[in-house]
Amino acid sequence: MEAASAVAMKGIEKIYPDGTQALRGVDFFLEKGQIHGLLGENGAGKTTLAKILSGLLPLTAGEIHLNGRRVRFAGPWEALRKGIGMVHQHFALVRPLTAIQNILLGQEGGGPLSRLEVKDAEKQVTEIMKQSGLNVPLDVRVELLPIGVQQRVEILKLLYRRAAILILDEPTSALTPVEVDALFEMLRQFKREGKTVVFITHKLREVMDITDKITVLRQGKVAGVLSTAEATPEKLAELMVGMKSLPAETRSEKPFGKTVLSVDGLRVRNDIGGFAAKDLTFQVRSGEIFGIAGVEGNGQTELMQALAGVRKIDKGKVTIDGKDTAGLGPRELFKMGLAFVPEDRRRLGLVMDFSVAENSILGMEDERKYLGRLRQLLWGKIFEYTRRLIQRFGILTPSETTPAKYLSGGNQQKLVVGRELNKEPSILLVAQPTRGLDVAATHFIRDLLIKMRDEGKAILLVSADLDEVMQISDTIAVIYQGTFMRVAPARELDRRTIGLLMGGVMPT
Amino acid sequence: MSFVAQAITLATSSLHAMVPLSLTATGETFNEKAGSFNIGLEGTLLLSAFTAVIGAEATGSYFGGLIVGMLTGMLISLVFAVIAIYWKGDQMIIGIGVNLFALGFVAFGLIAVWKTPGHHGLANWYPPRIPTPIGALSPLVPFAVVMAIITYLLVNKTVFGLRVKASGENPESVDVAGLSVERIRLVSALFGGALAGIAGAYLSIDWLSFVTKEISAGRGFISLACVVFSGLDPLLAFGGAFLFGFSEAFAIFLASMPGGPPIPYFFVYMIPYIVSLVVVTGVIGRRRFPAALGTPYRRE
Amino acid sequence: MTQQKRSRVREYLSGMARPLGETALAIAIGLVGGAVIMLIWKYDPLHAYIALFKGAFGGVDEIASTLSMATPLILTALTFLIGVKAGLFIIGAEGQVYLGTVGAVAASLFVLPPGVHLLVALLFSMVVGALWSLPVAILKVTRGVHEVISCIMMNWIAVWLTRYMVNYPLVDPARSEKTITVAPTSRFPILIPRTELTLAIAVSIVAAIVIYYFLWHTSLGYQFRAVGLNPEASRYAGINQLRIIILSLVMGGMTAGLAGATQVVGRPPTWALYGTLANIMNLGFNGLAVAMIGRTHPIGSIFAAIFFGGLYTGARQMQVPGPSPSLPYIEQLGEVVRGTAGAGVTIELIGAVQGVIVLAVAVPGALDMLRKYLRRRRGR
Repeated sequence: MEAASAVAMKGIEKIYPDGTQALRGVDFFLEKGQIHGLLGENGAGKTTLAKILSGLLPLTAGEIHLNGRRVRFAGPWEALRKGIGMVHQHFALVRPLTAIQNILLGQEGGGPLSRLEVKDAEKQVTEIMKQSGLNVPLDVRVELLPIGVQQRVEILKLLYRRAAILILDEPTSALTPVEVDALFEMLRQFKREGKTVVFITHKLREVMDITDKITVLRQGKVAGVLSTAEATPEKLAELMVGMKSLPAETRSEKPFGKTVLSVDGLRVRNDIGGFAAKDLTFQVRSGEIFGIAGVEGNGQTELMQALAGVRKIDKGKVTIDGKDTAGLGPRELFKMGLAFVPEDRRRLGLVMDFSVAENSILGMEDERKYLGRLRQLLWGKIFEYTRRLIQRFGILTPSETTPAKYLSGGNQQKLVVGRELNKEPSILLVAQPTRGLDVAATHFIRDLLIKMRDEGKAILLVSADLDEVMQISDTIAVIYQGTFMRVAPARELDRRTIGLLMGGVMPT
Repeated sequence: MSFVAQAITLATSSLHAMVPLSLTATGETFNEKAGSFNIGLEGTLLLSAFTAVIGAEATGSYFGGLIVGMLTGMLISLVFAVIAIYWKGDQMIIGIGVNLFALGFVAFGLIAVWKTPGHHGLANWYPPRIPTPIGALSPLVPFAVVMAIITYLLVNKTVFGLRVKASGENPESVDVAGLSVERIRLVSALFGGALAGIAGAYLSIDWLSFVTKEISAGRGFISLACVVFSGLDPLLAFGGAFLFGFSEAFAIFLASMPGGPPIPYFFVYMIPYIVSLVVVTGVIGRRRFPAALGTPYRRE
Repeated sequence: MTQQKRSRVREYLSGMARPLGETALAIAIGLVGGAVIMLIWKYDPLHAYIALFKGAFGGVDEIASTLSMATPLILTALTFLIGVKAGLFIIGAEGQVYLGTVGAVAASLFVLPPGVHLLVALLFSMVVGALWSLPVAILKVTRGVHEVISCIMMNWIAVWLTRYMVNYPLVDPARSEKTITVAPTSRFPILIPRTELTLAIAVSIVAAIVIYYFLWHTSLGYQFRAVGLNPEASRYAGINQLRIIILSLVMGGMTAGLAGATQVVGRPPTWALYGTLANIMNLGFNGLAVAMIGRTHPIGSIFAAIFFGGLYTGARQMQVPGPSPSLPYIEQLGEVVRGTAGAGVTIELIGAVQGVIVLAVAVPGALDMLRKYLRRRRGR
């Protein structure tokens, strides 16, 4: 078995400088001409393993063998010279440069002071494009290309450097279902050409769709290796999370209450002059979770920003409990009963260098209950409030004065969600609530949302995780390019239909 | 003086005033394109002006002084590079440190070397001049023009320029391609330092023929204004430098008018700074700067 | 409850150990740098530093001078650090100080009862200082002009404007190299006779404490810090970033203007502004260094300002000609320690030392690097 492996990684351990142990003795065997899935949930160690294989990270212990010979990589270029290349989840592209310039970077063919020659390279790259079926407009600036095309530029970079082993990290996270199909076709073509692919994902159906063999990682260790033919989603899920089955979906049995949030004909601009959301109309009622499903980049972000008062509304009307919210900022909206859990807790939800206590009053620091007679902050009271928050939401932290950056992702998210929920909102906007969280934290947050719903809150949920949307939403809207393809009660929609709608395709 | 003679004098002064601004700004655009932000230009000019005089007097030659000035600039950039690029220090603080150091060191040096507290003139000093139809120009005037063009070509037409642009926008892409972000930024910094060093030397051993403890007079920052206003385009920065050089020359021209300037000379000397402010205000906004400007690169 | 408070205090103190260590290291590096410069030009660093210390803290008069020098530095340091807390890099204190001084002198053009007159002078200086910061604020907020550039331009315009004011409207008709002497009714009371120390030092320290309280114990101060640390999250929380930027600039302008005032209504024996602007020059820039050494913390800046005040006061003693080189070295040292000799090193060296200290402060984790280096050497 080992002799036929193109790549053998044995006993890989990785400890980061800050002490976290990402990998604890992982063995990974890759055969030539194989599409090998590396499966695991967030934090399992898949990206770390891949970065070690592609030379980006040094290993702490263990060996890598390539075609029987031991190798050590001082950096990604050494791995590339041996034929191993990686396409990262967040592309390493230089946005204002053209596609061909990006492909050439580092391999321009000439000394540093020589003239930048693009013509020969263009010919070569065009050949490669024909062979692999990838098509990219080479003279266009990367920032103007859609994400699916940008990904192809990244892949071309590797092909241009004659990579034989391609590692793709979560390649479908930003693609529409149609683009995913195109990608899979490309991967099958690579396999026919004898290339080897490592396909990193946390999506069960995809990994069953495209791979030949699957290695499942859990908490830095190999949980299991099986051929795809023998795998079932249940077996994989069990290996991934150590749990028997996916949790049951929880729909509300109670009828909805009155309309809390009403959106009528909403139009919102995006940052590059076009419209992110065009003519959206919907209502969220008390006791309802309204989930918006859709691939990222179809207007959800801008929609949430507009509703939260951080982006201007171009046209249309939004009311909360019947009152118009035109022109109001986050603070006024908070007084009207709105709370918002943004999708990027580190960048938008917390001030990382602030303590837990300081973060717990973010947005509420001028509330009278925290101020004394001379309008000074009553830290005693604030610490008390923080302790209550910590207890109620199970936030693990050494103390209230610990800077937020030292908390784990799950606890940081609990802090944000807890803070917003403590505002006792009538409408809660929540975006990507469980992104990057481990299983326990994910369940906690989802249960929390369901509990809030049962207590009569109105919740607007945006998530790129279709399972999540389907699991907890009462009503689902599928957004595509700024409009709702369909809005319906969750029980009326199945996975296949939603998938098609997300890709802009009306189901037959 | 006849009108034509006055115009010629003004033109010559403008070109001369433009040189230190242009050289510094050109060098800094290259530096910023790669992602480093150097506000220590002012100190670099001051220190180079000082050391250039020492070099010129020691070697007895103009070029000796220029070389010493250039090397000084490069040395300062080296310090900047080590602290900011390799040790990931805060670029703004380093710039301030350089400026403070220069202020103290040059003032101290003037006393230590020439026993004079503020001003040291070069004796019997005749910097080379090129005769042209519009007057005798320093050779550094065409040099400044040439350097602006060369820098433009370097950035946009060479392999290294591609790597510099990538380093400033997305250093990770450079790292993944197997190149050293630090080395690219170091070279860019040295380039900028060399040009600023020459600019400082020019101030003392070419244009003014003396050195004082305030000889830079804010020119380092005016160069920064040029860089900002140009959106890191070396040719535009050159144009900006000419504009500011002209405003400086115009101020001097007004101040030295026979019968005194039309307004008290204090206000005349404000002109270059007011012009800088107005230009930077009016033009900013449409410009796009490298995404990684000012942030040191750390791999994962 | 006290248990928690005690542990919090302990956490706070241990949190301070590292920055203090790093600051001490930076100062040490600066002093070494100064020694190197002196050695290059054949001065004696030991003489210099002993004279420095003696001149700074050697007696009541010296300490009074040190504190008097520290007074404006605390205020200009506040200007910079208020900006830093709000996420800005404000180097415009220099110009704001100049015009603040003009404002304080201008107050002497009026006749007012004592005490009130002082308050009016301070008020003028603060208003003028704040006004001078407004263009920077407005340009930043409306056109996104980087504050470094606009501050420098405003500084230079201030230089020429102040020189004009000093030479024309406010000039002393009897002695044209300075402005009118500020009216006795507008002066600070002198704290220690025959020294330069006035009650102005109290104003500085109170200002620092006020700013400390503002930043950590008021909601507006909280908003400042939030904006400085994470402008995006602050926006999502509904904090008005533009308002914070303008306020921080105005507050900084006020403290800088106040610093200028302390140099005329708080500075015997001259009680006026020199035409060369010598007594207010570089206060703004030195304030930057003070703030950085003080770790951009208002209370830290008090100590850092006293340190720098000591450097500049001590430098006067350092300038006194050194002992005769023909004496045996021990006796030379003795003379310096007694104060009968200095080192003959001009005060400008302090500027260079200051620069090196700031550069050392800029190195992140210098203390860690040193520790690692020492550990490696020991392990050999």
